[in-house]
Amino acid sequence: MKIGAIAGITFKEAKRDRVLYLLFFFAALGIVASRVLAVLTVGDRIKIIKDVGLASISVFGVLMAILIGTGLVYKEIDKKTIFTLLAKPLHRAEFILGKFLGLVLTLLVLTAAMALIFLAIVYAHTLTVEGGLLVAVAYIFLELVLITAVAVFFSSFSTPILSSLFALAFYLIGHLSWGLELIIRKMRPGTGRTLVRALYLVLPDLENFNFKTEVVHALPIPPGIYLSSFLYGVCYTAFILGLAVLVFRRRDFI
Amino acid sequence: MGERATVRKGSATVLLVAFLLAAAAGFAALKAATDRVVRAKLPGASIIYVPSGKFLRYATFGYRALAADLIYLWAIQYYSTPTIDDRFNHLDHVFAIISELDPRFQDPYEVGALIAVQEARNVRAAFAILDRGAANNPDQWVYPFNAGHVALMTMKDYPLAEKYFEQTMKIPGAPEFVERLRANAIFKKGDLKTSWETWLDIFERAPDERTKRIASNHLYNVKATIDAAALEEAAAKYRERFGRPPADLGTLVRTGFLGEVPRDLDGQDYLYDPATGKVTTAISPWKR
Amino acid sequence: MADAIRIENLRKTFRLGFIPKPREILKGISFAVREGETFGYLGPNGAGKTTTIKCLLGLIRPDAGTISIFGRPYSSPHSREPLGFLPENPYFYDYLTAREFLAFTAELFGLGRGERDARIARLLGLVGLERAADLPLRKYSRGMLQRAGLAQALINDPKLVVLDEPLGGMDPLGRKEIRDIIVRFKDEGKTVFFTSHILQDIEMICDRVAIIVGGRIVKEGGLRDLISEKVLFTEVTVSGLPPQTFKGLGESVSTQGDRVLLKVYDEACVDEVVALVHERKGRLVALSPRTETLEDIFVDTVTRT
Repeated sequence: MKIGAIAGITFKEAKRDRVLYLLFFFAALGIVASRVLAVLTVGDRIKIIKDVGLASISVFGVLMAILIGTGLVYKEIDKKTIFTLLAKPLHRAEFILGKFLGLVLTLLVLTAAMALIFLAIVYAHTLTVEGGLLVAVAYIFLELVLITAVAVFFSSFSTPILSSLFALAFYLIGHLSWGLELIIRKMRPGTGRTLVRALYLVLPDLENFNFKTEVVHALPIPPGIYLSSFLYGVCYTAFILGLAVLVFRRRDFI
Repeated sequence: MGERATVRKGSATVLLVAFLLAAAAGFAALKAATDRVVRAKLPGASIIYVPSGKFLRYATFGYRALAADLIYLWAIQYYSTPTIDDRFNHLDHVFAIISELDPRFQDPYEVGALIAVQEARNVRAAFAILDRGAANNPDQWVYPFNAGHVALMTMKDYPLAEKYFEQTMKIPGAPEFVERLRANAIFKKGDLKTSWETWLDIFERAPDERTKRIASNHLYNVKATIDAAALEEAAAKYRERFGRPPADLGTLVRTGFLGEVPRDLDGQDYLYDPATGKVTTAISPWKR
Repeated sequence: MADAIRIENLRKTFRLGFIPKPREILKGISFAVREGETFGYLGPNGAGKTTTIKCLLGLIRPDAGTISIFGRPYSSPHSREPLGFLPENPYFYDYLTAREFLAFTAELFGLGRGERDARIARLLGLVGLERAADLPLRKYSRGMLQRAGLAQALINDPKLVVLDEPLGGMDPLGRKEIRDIIVRFKDEGKTVFFTSHILQDIEMICDRVAIIVGGRIVKEGGLRDLISEKVLFTEVTVSGLPPQTFKGLGESVSTQGDRVLLKVYDEACVDEVVALVHERKGRLVALSPRTETLEDIFVDTVTRT
């Protein structure tokens, strides 16, 4: 499978770039932070350990997705390795998808390892394995998949610095777009409101993948949202990847 | 051959665009569907971690004022979201952070106090917010003024109101009606003697006719209140002795309960109602 | 039988820069490479050689024109199945070893595992990289990279090999080795299309050449047709005599010490010069007839356009 070959090589590159060493950093941070915060706060330190743990899995993942993802395609063009690749019987779409899947695989390994470390730290404090936390981690991973697609998309036509900024903007917009709902509620019906409403539907809503609060406080999660959030993530990712392929197909490699 | 390839290329692009449109329609529909699912909200959970402003001062690096702006904007949204039942729990704390970050940021003091009084019904928080405003902005009369207003109108704590108005008057630029509010607070407090002296002072220093008139009306009112109290007291004593109220005020002088029947500031007689024992002015003090 | 490569009226204009300025690189190129021949593509720097190759490989979309590879349009990835490509100054994933890199390229062609390993071993032998096969490409010298590049271009046992400046940056020994490999391709019946500016190499191994200057093909044909066997002039080096002696017979090009280099155009005059040298007791140092070379044609066409 050609996509598999490209994904494999991308994963190998991340591995050789010592990306996985970050896990040690994560583990150290998790342990130190849970110790320090426990000293600083009064009251429920388990809750704070969980919050900090989930937040750092998310932040680390997003940083990785953006920093690696935005260089992914650009580096191939910049280092001219893409010439040899595209001279093979390979669709450009296969190239993009392979690169994307390679990074997703890297992030899967990273997230899984971080989740294990996290569960271990929580276990050390509560002596119970809290599998429920994995729900939040799973949706953090789904968010990472979407961010990766965005990073690869920008990377297919822009420089890493610009792409990083764009991808970061996407991430921030994704977490703030719920604010549009408040604006819509305050607007009078009319063209303006319809436009904002359309914008609201089109802009990414990454809060759909945010189950951190529910999981930490053991609140009930309505079952319907699992499926619709999951499908939302898949659909949005497919859309961004389609866009990336569309742009990438038209490119000249000078 | 070449043309066939071009055609194939074209149809691939059309397919791709169709795919994009389908995906976009899909995620927009799913977004709407996800929004319809009501997720459990943890009331107030979002501000459990609000740290102290002193800490944030360092954590926000050079962007203190910006952080203050953002927290202020967020706070307005947050406090106007009725679905968060216990949103007012940390009201004072949140506005304290804003003032720690940007002590000269004026709006949050006023708006915060307004939210505290009108929405949260938490006057203590309002006084705390306004006190910080006054402490951080000693040149602004509006904070003690607002505090005095809250004390006067909402709490009806007249000594407190007097204190705040007095504080307001000392700040250059405070409007002159503040001293009248203070005199009124003193009157409401029940300190009629001081009230009389204060109003007399205002009357004598009045720069224009209108102020003179207002002060004169208040003096009329203070005197009427003092006189009415004396008359009603005498009438009550009379009734105690004779078992019935006096028929008129002159009776009180004749029976020795009163040296003389006082008249109001305009020299008019007070009205006495034997049925209730109440003494009133012939006309309203405000319509002389 | 279809041509290995057929290019018709290929045009490409680039718009580069922040404020795009159109620059026409290819102004209607047409040529064909027959199956089984070794074809040299010549041109000065910036003439459009690499752009032509990139169009051929689908790396650049031409504005107009058609390209077919064994009868298949260039735009279909299938057209590149019988093709092996070695880019100019090859860049590969430098964190991979040569063996890993070849395995990866084999995967792109969908080769099975058993076939893959056998072929990789054979190719590493062919390009002489057996001993460096498990070193990361980062540690390779330029020449070694070129060999690794050649190996990856041959992973699919291509019917058509496209080489962009295959001899650039090689030491003389390495150049000879690559040249031998190209000659062997010809014996195996492979079609070879390559660019080079080392003209002697092309002369030695090409069947046909095309010369591109400023985005246009200015000459195309069999090497035998382009280069005539005719003697252009004879260079005669004489010592012990002043240049004036040969006035009217030949043009004196340079004098070094007591040596004089003469360019004699008329073959009859050569005998007269030799006779004159004997008569005046001078010494004939060298005498070489110059036939037309590819370089002459190249320089001639480039300066004329």
